Amino acid sequence: MTASPNQNVLIFLLTSIALIVLPHFYHLPISIFGFFYLLLGWRLAGLWKPAWLPNRWLVFLLTIIGLSLIYLQHQGIFGRDAGTHLFIIALGLKLMEIKTERDLYLITFLAFIVAASQFLYEQSLLMAGYILMVCCTLIATLVSINSRNPEPWLALKTASTIILQALPLAIVLFILFPRVEAPRWMLLNDRQQARMGLSDSMEPGSISELGVSTELAFRVKFTGAMPPPAQRYWRGPVLTQTDGKRWIPSPHHGLEAYMDKPVTTGTPYQYTLLMEPQNKNWVFALDLPIEFTEPLERNANYQLITSANPDKRSEYKITSFPHYNTGYITRVEYKDATQLPDTPSAEINALVTQLHGFDQPPEQFIKALLSHFRTEDFHYTLTPPVMEDKPIETFLFKTRYGFCSHYASAFVYLMRVAHIPARVVTGYQGGEFNPVGQFLEIHQYDAHAWTEVWLEGKGWMRIDPTAAVAPERIEKNINVDALATGETIQFATEGGNQNAFAWLTQARQLWSNVDYNWQRWVINYNRSNQQKFLANFGIGDIKTMMYWMIAILSGISAILSFFLLYQKPKTTDQALRHYQRFCRHLAKHGLIRNPSEGETAFAERIKATLPQLAQPAQHITDIFIRLRYGRASHDEDLRLLGKSVKEFTQENPLKKH
Amino acid sequence: MHNAINQLLASANQIILGKDHKIRLAVCCLLARGHLLIEDIPGVGKTTLAHTLAKLLGLHYQRIQFTSDILPADILGTSVFDSANNSFKFHPGPVFNQMVLADEVNRATPKAQSALLEAMEEQQVTVEGKTYPLPNPFFVIATQNPSHQIGTFPLPESQLDRFLMRIELGYPDYAAERALLAGQNRQHLLESLDVQLPPQQLHAIQQAVTNIHVSPALLDYCQALISYTRTSPEYTYGLSPRGGLALLRAAKAWAYINQRDAVIPEDVQAVLAAVAGHRLRAGNNHSEAIVAPLLEKVAIH
Repeated sequence: MTASPNQNVLIFLLTSIALIVLPHFYHLPISIFGFFYLLLGWRLAGLWKPAWLPNRWLVFLLTIIGLSLIYLQHQGIFGRDAGTHLFIIALGLKLMEIKTERDLYLITFLAFIVAASQFLYEQSLLMAGYILMVCCTLIATLVSINSRNPEPWLALKTASTIILQALPLAIVLFILFPRVEAPRWMLLNDRQQARMGLSDSMEPGSISELGVSTELAFRVKFTGAMPPPAQRYWRGPVLTQTDGKRWIPSPHHGLEAYMDKPVTTGTPYQYTLLMEPQNKNWVFALDLPIEFTEPLERNANYQLITSANPDKRSEYKITSFPHYNTGYITRVEYKDATQLPDTPSAEINALVTQLHGFDQPPEQFIKALLSHFRTEDFHYTLTPPVMEDKPIETFLFKTRYGFCSHYASAFVYLMRVAHIPARVVTGYQGGEFNPVGQFLEIHQYDAHAWTEVWLEGKGWMRIDPTAAVAPERIEKNINVDALATGETIQFATEGGNQNAFAWLTQARQLWSNVDYNWQRWVINYNRSNQQKFLANFGIGDIKTMMYWMIAILSGISAILSFFLLYQKPKTTDQALRHYQRFCRHLAKHGLIRNPSEGETAFAERIKATLPQLAQPAQHITDIFIRLRYGRASHDEDLRLLGKSVKEFTQENPLKKH
Repeated sequence: MHNAINQLLASANQIILGKDHKIRLAVCCLLARGHLLIEDIPGVGKTTLAHTLAKLLGLHYQRIQFTSDILPADILGTSVFDSANNSFKFHPGPVFNQMVLADEVNRATPKAQSALLEAMEEQQVTVEGKTYPLPNPFFVIATQNPSHQIGTFPLPESQLDRFLMRIELGYPDYAAERALLAGQNRQHLLESLDVQLPPQQLHAIQQAVTNIHVSPALLDYCQALISYTRTSPEYTYGLSPRGGLALLRAAKAWAYINQRDAVIPEDVQAVLAAVAGHRLRAGNNHSEAIVAPLLEKVAIH
């Protein structure tokens, strides 16, 4: 049993713990969050009013309350959320019984676990920085516990030094330590987080206001040239079935194996795609993905599907060809692509006839329909009127206000009326170029729907009816700030960023670049990436990896220990430094002073072994002894010592024997 | 002053041959106002050393031979009824002398031992409720046989601590032995010794010793030594604070003898074995061996 802990140390500890639990606010239920800070506040009050602290029975009661809170929330203690909350409650309860130094250590280590558990929720660079900071305060707490006079600033300084010293080790461990994929059971019981993203169906008529999210969908870094904005179609699910209102994917899972391989021409685009976490296993490749690696697969609709856990960020290397010919159409495909929910109305038939849908080749009809969209009074809006009944007719003949889905569905419908196979393709279009990081950022507000029409001899061809109505939508970026108001739509004009807020944009892009690299190189550094990365250095298997890790760690530890051991001579005592220089010089002459050897004894030894140096050595020793052990130290002596040592080292240069 | 000390040392060296360092330590112990314990087998000159010092310092000298049946009263003195005055009169025992040689102190029973050792510590004797001060200077030289000899009651650690130093005389070397054998009778030589350092002068020197300067750097070294004894597994237990004070006191006296006005690490190292040897418990009982790791491993700066 040691004396009860110092009050300063306790304040320090409580502050760091308060900081550690703070970011958990985002996922902690308010009851548990409140309960924890109640306990913390109670403990803090107990510093000044020890009588207020709960006794053993009350602590027991609090424990019961804490556990019931967790049970009410999660019906158990397993899983990420319940486990983290259990740790937080335990930390709070442990605060109530700080009696010995041992309790302080226990709390500090528990706090480290709670700090680390934050990474189960949030892995951003900012959060990592914050956690590093609070870990620094925790280490400072440990330093204060072990020092006689806890000085917060000194402790923080020591803690920062410790963290800096640990950093190279941490980096080596990060790079070389074998990654273990989290077992599936750890993800049990976790409700899937709601992720933004495309859905696998489309019902344009029921939407009165398209939600525009600025959340990031994915990033793309091109190794060579980048396609022009109008060619940036990121292919997602293909919707073929419709009941007149709602569009869903084909129930027939066509296999690519039975289809013609696409014939490609032109220069390919090579890029790395970093998907943000999503709840679907879709990967949005540039039209048309030809080369890709595991775990990617391409389905019959040329959409890429990943078999990796989509809830994690993942990186894919893909090559796409902008010009392609998909060749023949299968029977099932043809049937799907010409499916109509009912016989078209007279109005529709009249429109198709008017646009020569029945008597001219498909190309002519497509051109006519697109110019119909362009010349007639059609408008692009994100806040279209609701079209409950017969949405396509309402859109085509009455409201004429709509966004991409409206145009795509109407277009496909009309094509099918004219017996041309057509389908809706959803995905993303465009992307914002980040000049700092040289990559494209595709946000949720870039979500788009376009169409594909099958033409004899050309295969599936992309037609974007929205481009006919609002070419700016395709060629430029939507001005998101204006969109948020939901009023009118303005398209960012060329050079529109060169306003007073240009630096803000730059800062955002810079940050986005830093974040991209963080996600790409740190968060996404999983087993396969590690293997690929280490293969560059010829490290192939886990065994060599471990050897390298142990070798590098030992190397770094050796260097650190060397510095720690040999930094001792660096003293603030000026006289001692002069004397040490004197000793170092003699060491070169082969005369090494034993650390426990007194100065006069050493002088005697010099006299015995190097008689020619005896006199100056004795002189230096005398001054040093006077300075170090004498009654009053004189600046004069110090100068004299410095001068004598200098002369000694210069006049007696190292002689080669 | 220094002359007088050199004279004293020279004279003592003529009586006890080849024990220069041990005599220096004994004198150092005296200047530091400490009591001395000499541990060795019989016949190596323990008694002669004590006698020589008493003679050279001109101190009243009394020898108490400790035996297993000695009683505290035999050391401290007793009250005897004086029929003339019709009252008890205190007859001081042999301890009431400036220099007391307690010969073979570990042959006495613990009760008798503690009577002497308490007098040493407190500089006074209390008999039947009355307190009698001991003379000043008061210096005890105790001798003891190695504790493995038959019929000994080893002094407990708490009482060993009362002695500032413990020294071992050891056999004389060949040349000293030869000189001893060829030379005159020691007893005669002893008789002919002159007082080299009268008590007033001794008192002045003792005063001067306390004024020897101790720098923070030296205290660092002392503390390093002390903490090494407390943390190293080589020692069962470390030096007590009293042991630390004793070390510094002895080092100051040693610096004085070597004509320095400030203590340097060598002074501490010189007295370390004598001061710390009997205060530490290690594998063996030989002072030099006990402190060897300290001298070897504790860095000076």
